[in-house]
Amino acid sequence: MDVESLLPRVIKPARYTDGEWNAVHKDAAGVRARFALVYPDSYELGMSHLGLHILYHILNSHPDFLAERAFAPWPDMERQLRDRGIPLTSLESQSPLREFDAVGITLPYELTYTNILNVLDLAGIPLRSADRGPEDPLVIGGGPGAVNPEPMADFFDAILVGEGEDAILEIAEAVVLRDREAALARLAEISGVYVPAQYHASFDGPGPRGSVAPRNGAPAQIVRRFISDLDEAPFPTRQIVPFVDTVYSRVTLEIMRGCARGCRFCQAGTAYRPRRERSVETLLRQAEEAVAATGYDEISLLAFTSVDHRDIESLVSELVERFGSRGVGVALPSLRADAFSVALANKIQQVRKSGLTFAPEAATPRLRRAIRKQLTEDDLFAAADAAFSSGWTRLKLYFMIGLPTEREEDVEAIGDLVQRLVAFGRGVLGSRAGRLRIGVSVTSFVPKPHTPFQWMGQEDRDSLAHKQRLLQRSLRGRAIKLSWADPDVSALEAAISRGDRRVGRAIERAWGLGAVFDAWGEHFDFVQWQQAFRDADLQLEDYANSHLDFSDALPWGHIACSLDNDALREEAERALSQGEA
Amino acid sequence: MAQIICRYRKGEQVRWISHLDLKRTLERAMRRAQLPLLLSQGHNPHPKLSLGPPLPLGATGDAELLAVHLTEALDPEEVKERLNEQLPPSLEIVEAWRLPRHKKKETFGQIDVAQYRVSVQGEVDPGEVRGRVEALLASEELVVHRGGERPERTVDVRPFVLSLAAAGAKEWGLELDMRLRTGSHGGVRPQEVVALLGLDGGDRRIIYHRIGLYAGAQAAPRKRALRRWTRSRGPTQGRE
Repeated sequence: MDVESLLPRVIKPARYTDGEWNAVHKDAAGVRARFALVYPDSYELGMSHLGLHILYHILNSHPDFLAERAFAPWPDMERQLRDRGIPLTSLESQSPLREFDAVGITLPYELTYTNILNVLDLAGIPLRSADRGPEDPLVIGGGPGAVNPEPMADFFDAILVGEGEDAILEIAEAVVLRDREAALARLAEISGVYVPAQYHASFDGPGPRGSVAPRNGAPAQIVRRFISDLDEAPFPTRQIVPFVDTVYSRVTLEIMRGCARGCRFCQAGTAYRPRRERSVETLLRQAEEAVAATGYDEISLLAFTSVDHRDIESLVSELVERFGSRGVGVALPSLRADAFSVALANKIQQVRKSGLTFAPEAATPRLRRAIRKQLTEDDLFAAADAAFSSGWTRLKLYFMIGLPTEREEDVEAIGDLVQRLVAFGRGVLGSRAGRLRIGVSVTSFVPKPHTPFQWMGQEDRDSLAHKQRLLQRSLRGRAIKLSWADPDVSALEAAISRGDRRVGRAIERAWGLGAVFDAWGEHFDFVQWQQAFRDADLQLEDYANSHLDFSDALPWGHIACSLDNDALREEAERALSQGEA
Repeated sequence: MAQIICRYRKGEQVRWISHLDLKRTLERAMRRAQLPLLLSQGHNPHPKLSLGPPLPLGATGDAELLAVHLTEALDPEEVKERLNEQLPPSLEIVEAWRLPRHKKKETFGQIDVAQYRVSVQGEVDPGEVRGRVEALLASEELVVHRGGERPERTVDVRPFVLSLAAAGAKEWGLELDMRLRTGSHGGVRPQEVVALLGLDGGDRRIIYHRIGLYAGAQAAPRKRALRRWTRSRGPTQGRE
């Protein structure tokens, strides 16, 4: 039995076949090391993750290495594989993952961690690094979640902290050694690579208090890798073109990495410092190559805040001018809430219609100051004015509740602000006022390691639920559509995000109880997770909700991101005093 | 301005791609081939591409059809070659021709019969199957329950089975040949016929392959005055 024979029995079978345009098929005999690159979620999400395309491209461009892809099979496919004892395979050569020299797994975010264990199990690879033998592949992690590797430390042989463009080939050379011990020793010497087995974790009571210390001569600090020159960095223009519709079926152009805005809740802000840009010249060349190589009809400009690129106006004008007549549109997914952004979006609208999204995050000036969100109400209304007067009738706004120093009046102000925007929008739209729609998306604050708010506990779930009810009451109206994140999901995110090595036991237990695809509402079971934490002799709330002292040792203290604890603490204290004002 | 019609093959490696995904795949290949696509007007311009009747998911086909509007009258042979360079493995343009000038639009809507060759691999008794085929053809009514449709309903598909034959036994099983009504005036899926013969389920491997598309059944379903869709005249006259 092979995967092919299972395809009639599963939904969206094309997710498990290969042959997509630009997929690479290399002869295993001609290379020194074979990599399986795994994104631990559905094919559609994984294929929309730029990091996977970048590493796939770098490894396959090298004559000595080969990379193939694998994704978390959807539960219907998982059942078929388990029932028939078929191991998880790569897409390209349909080889079992355990036959590769290394399995590289992205750590996208907390709610994918059970999928990582599930993938290892389906591949027949022992879950824990300590249980793997000479025949097993090296299991190497990396990606956004690596800035706090502790919750997954027991399951990985090595984890790269930071950006992979330079490090991946150094890692590949270590994998070539084949001998497990020798390879691990070499990996540990690579800057930014964390080999958890060489570290001992200790704990100071319940919750995220404790430290991780090196054994036999490993470096005390793992220093995050980052590339110095984005313009020179390898970028895949021959991007794989999936057959099935994915989250982003379009050319992705990374115009900028990092963000200089310094919002205090934002982990990406500190994890991807400093802000680096690609030049317009490079981007236009990459756009030409990528459109020619993929045939996509849209180019999406990727950045945390694309309008912060210093040449964004000329870039957008050039792209629209060159590609508009060919029916290729341009998308700017990350806008700032100001009139400049809307003017830019207007340029793009000459080609294709898309929605406008702004993220004020908080509704009062005091709270916005406390989180360091550089946005004024004047900016927001100027943006709305520009948007409504140039024909948009739909806006989407992102807010967060449960932010440090937040008061009930801040939550009430969200309703007030949105209602004022609705009234304003109706005025501007005049006879078209009936078409006004304002989407309001409210998430709960999640404290993240390496941010100024890493010490702040998340508000408890009851209190968040109370605030959501307040919002529901104040956000009524035909023009308003309210959506929010489940406080239970946010609590789990917080608990794993600030987790230590013990939390790995809870993750393993949750997986044992059947948790997979936790990021998908229909699969998420909070009761199961609470049970899993209890079974691991832990309390989820200790990790999610407890306030830490600035003097507490932190479980991720051995990972050096861009800002040290003194700098973060300074920012945190400033936040608290600005929040008090 | 010109409209090009292509007959293409949807092969083994792309048979799990849905109709909609296949359309996107073809559009992207056309853009990579830098064909002078005529784009629709409006905010969201897209190429004017139409496809013939969808294949069931998992089926392969040799008789598949597409029509695309170009802004220049390119040589159909050139369109075929340029496109084939950009198509993924096992998706291939077999022949291409220009829509005759007196026609405004392709007439895929007229297609109402599809011919399938279905190979049934694994445990199967050819003699018994032949008996079941005869019984099926002799029956007045063949009721199929369509749970997937809304509202759920039962349909008599007997009028939609135009021909059905079990070809000689092979080492690995047997092959069925069937001509089935398809399209907006009702039809039957080859999987439904296989189920009516009791051949679904178990560990049998069933491979569906469409070998022909025809027009002309609507007027007289059982008279079989079918015209096969070929290059020369669109739906051509000729008794099958």
